[in-house]
Amino acid sequence: MREEEIEKLRGVVRDCVSKHLYSSAIFFADKVAAFTADPADIYMQAQALFLGRHYRRAFHLLNASKIVLSDLRFRYLAAKCLEELKEWDQCLSMLGEAKVDDEGNVSDTKDSNVMYLDKDCEDREINISSAICFLRGKAYEALENRAQARLWYKAAIKADPLCYEALECLIENHMLTCQEEANLISSLQFGSEDGWLSSFYSCLIKKYDKENVVEAKFRELENESCKSDQSDTSFLRTLKSNTDLLACKAEYYHQCGEYQKCFDLTYVLLEKDLFHLKCTLVHLAAAVELGHSNELYLMACNLVKDYPQMALSWFAVGCYYYCIKKYDQSRRYFSKATSLDGTFPPAWIGYGNAYAAQEEGDQAMSAYRTAARLFPGCHLPTLYIGMECMRTHSYKLAEQFFIQAKSTCPSDPLVYNELGVVAYHMKEYKKAVWWFEKTLALIPTALSEMWESTVVNLAHAYRKLKMYQEAISYYEKALALSTRSVSTYAGLAYTYHLQDDFTTAITYYHKVSNSVPILVWIHDNY
Amino acid sequence: MSSKESCRSELRIAIRQLSDRCLYSASKWAAEQLVGIEHDPVKFTPSNTRFQRGSSSIRRKYKTHDVTVTPIAGVSYVATPVMEEDELVDDDFYLQAKAYFDCREYKRAAHVLRDQNGRKSVFLRCYALYLAGEKRKEEEMIELEGPLGKSDAVNRELVSLERELSTLRNNGKIDPFGLYLYGLVLKQKGSENLARTVLVESVNSYPWNWNVWTELQSLCKTVDILNSLNLNSHWMKDFFLASVYQELRMHNDSLSKYEYLLGTFGNSNYIQAQIAKAQYSLREFDQVEAIFEELLSNDPYRVEDMDMYSNVLYAKECFSALSYLAHRVFLTDKYRPESCCIIGNYYSLKGQHEKAVVYFRRALKLNKNFLSAWTLMGHEFVEMKNTPAAVDAYRRAVDIDPRDYRAWYGLGQAYEMMGMPLYALHYFKKSVFLQPNDSRLWIAMAQCYETDQLRMLDEAVKCYRRAANCNDREAIALHNLARLLSELGRPEEAAFYYKKDLERMESEEREGPKMVEALLYLAKYYRAQKKFEEAEVYCTRLLDYTGPERETAKSILRGMRTVQSGFPSMDVEHFPPNPF
Repeated sequence: MREEEIEKLRGVVRDCVSKHLYSSAIFFADKVAAFTADPADIYMQAQALFLGRHYRRAFHLLNASKIVLSDLRFRYLAAKCLEELKEWDQCLSMLGEAKVDDEGNVSDTKDSNVMYLDKDCEDREINISSAICFLRGKAYEALENRAQARLWYKAAIKADPLCYEALECLIENHMLTCQEEANLISSLQFGSEDGWLSSFYSCLIKKYDKENVVEAKFRELENESCKSDQSDTSFLRTLKSNTDLLACKAEYYHQCGEYQKCFDLTYVLLEKDLFHLKCTLVHLAAAVELGHSNELYLMACNLVKDYPQMALSWFAVGCYYYCIKKYDQSRRYFSKATSLDGTFPPAWIGYGNAYAAQEEGDQAMSAYRTAARLFPGCHLPTLYIGMECMRTHSYKLAEQFFIQAKSTCPSDPLVYNELGVVAYHMKEYKKAVWWFEKTLALIPTALSEMWESTVVNLAHAYRKLKMYQEAISYYEKALALSTRSVSTYAGLAYTYHLQDDFTTAITYYHKVSNSVPILVWIHDNY
Repeated sequence: MSSKESCRSELRIAIRQLSDRCLYSASKWAAEQLVGIEHDPVKFTPSNTRFQRGSSSIRRKYKTHDVTVTPIAGVSYVATPVMEEDELVDDDFYLQAKAYFDCREYKRAAHVLRDQNGRKSVFLRCYALYLAGEKRKEEEMIELEGPLGKSDAVNRELVSLERELSTLRNNGKIDPFGLYLYGLVLKQKGSENLARTVLVESVNSYPWNWNVWTELQSLCKTVDILNSLNLNSHWMKDFFLASVYQELRMHNDSLSKYEYLLGTFGNSNYIQAQIAKAQYSLREFDQVEAIFEELLSNDPYRVEDMDMYSNVLYAKECFSALSYLAHRVFLTDKYRPESCCIIGNYYSLKGQHEKAVVYFRRALKLNKNFLSAWTLMGHEFVEMKNTPAAVDAYRRAVDIDPRDYRAWYGLGQAYEMMGMPLYALHYFKKSVFLQPNDSRLWIAMAQCYETDQLRMLDEAVKCYRRAANCNDREAIALHNLARLLSELGRPEEAAFYYKKDLERMESEEREGPKMVEALLYLAKYYRAQKKFEEAEVYCTRLLDYTGPERETAKSILRGMRTVQSGFPSMDVEHFPPNPF
């Protein structure tokens, strides 16, 4: 057969692959390889076999033809086959020995003989070594060596910033703390044309900055446009309505406690892109906060119908039951979610919360502990463990956990609030005031109802310090946020009482007087 | 049809006039249609998009074939609602009266207008008196309620109102609104013919008051009456006709009218809901579901007509969607009869029939004439085997609307359960008269004829034939017909229907005992006819099934071989055994 004819046949194989006719691709690739015995053609055949899900055959072909050793790509493909076959140890050994340091710098250098196969187009390629690093990370994760996995993921994204999957794994599984994430992003070396990507990545990572900083990040990206045709403004497209970006924004709203805003955004997004994973998760969380049980019900039904194998679906069912306060069922479905995917963080936390909601501290703690072990970058489990400790009045222990949470995520105001509460309980009122003020300073947006309790806490602490004017002013601030809280009125009344302003005190006592438990509480606490 | 722009300006003026006269529901209807007018693409501005979201796909579905309904050549018709706004003098009193009326202080409103003689004032005064009387009537009804919830309370204002309005009409001093009220009064007093004439006068001079059309519709009980009406042509008449056709069960006429109207009122939710209603009567559940999904996404707080959607979801057993809908209307407005019916359906699907009955009862408390609640409650009582209560509920339903075939059918079912097939037959006949293309009704009738008390098998055969000719979804009719014919000793016909049944099962890929029965009968029949080849085909197919039929098939095959070959043939058993 002549060379042109073979070239034509190769074209057929490529076309078959692009049309997902894998059996045909395998058939023709086999023939081409038989004619030429060229390593490139054998690679093509192996590729076709891999795509046709004949992993063992592909691996065998690569292994038997001895070309595996000659090129990184072959080795990578062989390792991919082993990955699909779930033979992780072999997969790692196929990829070769290599060391990685804490910063994710690889030091292997032993054999980097990349014999470039024919590159038929000038598309940008993802660095092969980055892909290899990522595969190592996945293998280590499957082997439950999460520390190594984390390093290799870092190495992967460092080797090529375009390897988004590695970043996704790092972020979704909370493998890095806030600071580490920021450092990682800043250490990446982006190409000159990838400025937008760098901004995008910085939107993806944890967002505990001040509101204006985060907003600026978003704005920068939104203005990023395709500058191909400047003259015609009507064709100017931006990333403004990109689902991924908006999902990030929704996540940020959720974190700021603006649940309604978040819910509205995700609702629209999900109409556009049904079951966008991140968006769905945020949507569920917001719906739980807002108590939209009906929305949760429909969502969960649809998810379970379409994706019965996904942890998220059962997590949604758990959320629904959690929302309608049926914690037993909720726990059952959260644990189902964790059994489907042990590395799905929200399910573990939900599991713990469902226990905590029924004051079953021990079980809740064990769920949180698992979460803390699995997701070292997430401060919530530690925070919740601390809260459980506080419930059992072990303040010292609680404080330790809060400090630990603070070191993981030094900018979440919630942590500081809890630290303040602990200090208050330990009668260190000065310290408590300090923590509470720090909390209020860290709140990213304007004060909302969510932070009312912090304001009240601060007022209580001031009262204990006998700084009545400050206390009263903070109580009043709290009342401006929410008028429903009885304990604010009680505190205010008591403060006036302590100042010997009995008339005002009585006025405020009147507002609480119909609530007997609160009166008992006043009696006990002051 | 007049242009969109003219429709729009007519409606705009009409809405002001209607709401000025406190005809709230008519002005609501008109406002809905106003927004429902499709925007010309030229003037299309983004701010209008929110009314158009999502409605396009439905429209596309119905616009596939061009509708060519030409408007009836123009008899004189009013183009713009010009009404002399005569009364400037008593304007202040009118404003006060309207304010009282808006606060539902009807008597007070009427009193303020006692000496005003302008047409508008007269109308509002009479209308206020009428409503005051209605309110009192409702109150008395509750106060004097007998054990059956019926009482003979009447609107005490009717007599004086009739006297006044008829004098006004005779003097020619009445406006279309006054005529509407007069029609209303006459209808309540039972003089339907005069009421019709008066209402027609009203719509001919002022067609934009939808209330008049609905009253007129309730007086058009047959096509003949409808045709005898002398109506000027106007686009409002098309709305009326579409609605009347639907009421008269001429669904296809009604649908084509609505399709024609969609040309102008392309975004009207009302029309979509009406189309859904017609499709529902034609039992096209998938289409209904699609329409309602669109409607809900455009108008999420809509409660009207949603009970029909819930019926569809119930029939399709879409549990999660029904639950979602129920919770949603519960949050929107739980004290509406529609909401209560939806929640009732929800409980019924969950199998909690007692709870369902509670909600249907609540719906009826909110609106005693809410037809579907009576029928649905009847169904629940049938489920609970409480036949006397079911019969009572169904009777109330047919009292309200004698054209509700479901209620008649329910009555039949209830009597059938009580073992009174002759009674049941009577009601099934009524039902089937109203809905002649529903196979379930024919089957029910046939089964009645088949009962041991009657044994009128020829009639049963006729009914089954009818059922088989209708669109028999559950495919019971063919099978029962075939079985009955074979019992009657009419093998040719039986074989014919068994074959038909078999073909149908094949095309729908259903299997089961019915399949086996059909195959066995056909095999035996063809053997008796000595058509061995056909018989063999059926026997071999039977071999794929387990059970005694397989053995029978084997023996038939054996028997045929013997006859065919003339000498003892090889036993089938000598062949390599069948894999099954």
